[in-house]
Amino acid sequence: MHKNVNSSCDSGIQRQCKKAKKYDGSELSTQGQKVDVKDQAVEKKTYPLGPDRSTELTPTMHGCDPEGRSTHDSHPSHQHLMGSSVDEDDKSDFDLYRAEEEIEKELRQKYQSKPEPAGESQSSVSAPEDIQTYSEREWKGNTSKSRLIRKGYDTIANKYTLRIVRGDNYCALRATLFQVLSLSKQLPAWLGESDITEWPKRVNSDGDLIKEWRFPLESRKSKVEMLEQCLNRLRKRWHEAVECKSLQERERMCQQVFVGQEEEYELLEALKFLMLRTAIQLHAVMTKGSDVPEFCWLLFARDSSKCPKSLLTNHLRHVGFNGGLEQVEMCLLGHSLQQTIQVYRLYKSDTEEFITYYPNDHQEDWPSLCLLTEDDRHYNALVPKRSTNFDECGWPIWRQPSDGQSHVTTRL
Amino acid sequence: MSYIPGQPVSVVVQRIEIQKLRDGDNLILGFSIGGGIDQDSNQNPFSEDKTDKGIYVTRVSKGGPAEVAGLRIGDKIMQVNGWDMTMVTHDQARKKLTKKNEDVVRLLVTRRSLEDVVRQSMMQQPTH
Repeated sequence: MHKNVNSSCDSGIQRQCKKAKKYDGSELSTQGQKVDVKDQAVEKKTYPLGPDRSTELTPTMHGCDPEGRSTHDSHPSHQHLMGSSVDEDDKSDFDLYRAEEEIEKELRQKYQSKPEPAGESQSSVSAPEDIQTYSEREWKGNTSKSRLIRKGYDTIANKYTLRIVRGDNYCALRATLFQVLSLSKQLPAWLGESDITEWPKRVNSDGDLIKEWRFPLESRKSKVEMLEQCLNRLRKRWHEAVECKSLQERERMCQQVFVGQEEEYELLEALKFLMLRTAIQLHAVMTKGSDVPEFCWLLFARDSSKCPKSLLTNHLRHVGFNGGLEQVEMCLLGHSLQQTIQVYRLYKSDTEEFITYYPNDHQEDWPSLCLLTEDDRHYNALVPKRSTNFDECGWPIWRQPSDGQSHVTTRL
Repeated sequence: MSYIPGQPVSVVVQRIEIQKLRDGDNLILGFSIGGGIDQDSNQNPFSEDKTDKGIYVTRVSKGGPAEVAGLRIGDKIMQVNGWDMTMVTHDQARKKLTKKNEDVVRLLVTRRSLEDVVRQSMMQQPTH
């Protein structure tokens, strides 16, 4: 990808230098911030499954934009890399050494510009789209990759319609949350069994973990109180979803939630908290020597997450900001919610990993949520197609003849 | 034509054979249809009985294949290539007329003027 740099001679080279210096710049910052810097360094080294963990600290990097996708023959991550460095250069023309706080502030500003819609509310999840049309539109080329992806789409085109999820680092959580609220038919056991709003205090009482938590939107409340609020919202909305009497009612509820405002982000943070709590429980069981699901071994085998605390510091607290979910973290998410997240991974079409279950050990007893990913980075939601002629119970659906319509004439 | 729901329809029909005209990728017939069991039959200006949900010819292009074949505005289409058109939806009718692999459609149509002419000529015949 050097050709992009060379095309603008000196400025290109300068850009390269600036990039390097920026990183050095942050390392020269004051003592108090060194901990964060180390975290970033650790993050860069130890994400084996993720090729382009954002080095530019822009949350939008992880996402995908439709323009980028049509020319998919070149590796998209590099395109994004160059794109975002231009933005940052424009902002800090002469300041080669930006302090850690400035980077964090910019990150927060860039991030906060998302939750505030410009005038009208922007839905974070699009209306259902026909998969055949979508695939032909987005993947026009004839490279082997395009063919592979289109083949994947073709395989599922008559079973599902596609709902595009906003492309940021929350997309895996968002897609899962959307499926839960729009399709789940019953409450999971853990939601009914105990008062989940007590969980943040309990988790925090053992080691003061919650102080590490990072929220996308600022609030006056303490972090523990904020998490309690998030969990409360999740419980209420999940109850509401399951009690909806019709699909329209359910859709209306989802349209209320997924508008990129506080509620949506609170629900997403609630999911993250559930992942943390489950990780703590599983880790405790593991250290005792009892049986745990296979993914736990993988989860805690990573250098960057040998224990729940480091899982939080190095992974969970960055989800939504400058990182998404790794596959093993998808297993953790599924396990925490007691749902099997069934993902169609299109770049694995024609292999046995085309459909992957996160986790794969409860397919019989946990409900399924279907997601789709082209590249294990961005996730979209899949809505199962209903047979249009029969209703849920198998009775034929009566369609009213269109009386009262003005005289329709067709030219032949 | 008297149309009593539930009773067999007895009409005087004319056979019309339309040769479709090829226009690039399309085959055009040169007329428009209205009506169908899923349409509002009250709006049909050509039907005698406003409960008649049959397929009617609402427009005929000047010099087009339909006009050449003898189709007239206001004709009611009873059959297309043997398929009944008296109890179909608008879209079903359109489909029967626009099959891509058929160059010719043979219609059975009826029109008021036809009936009148035949009735009149029958009345004028002296009974032997």
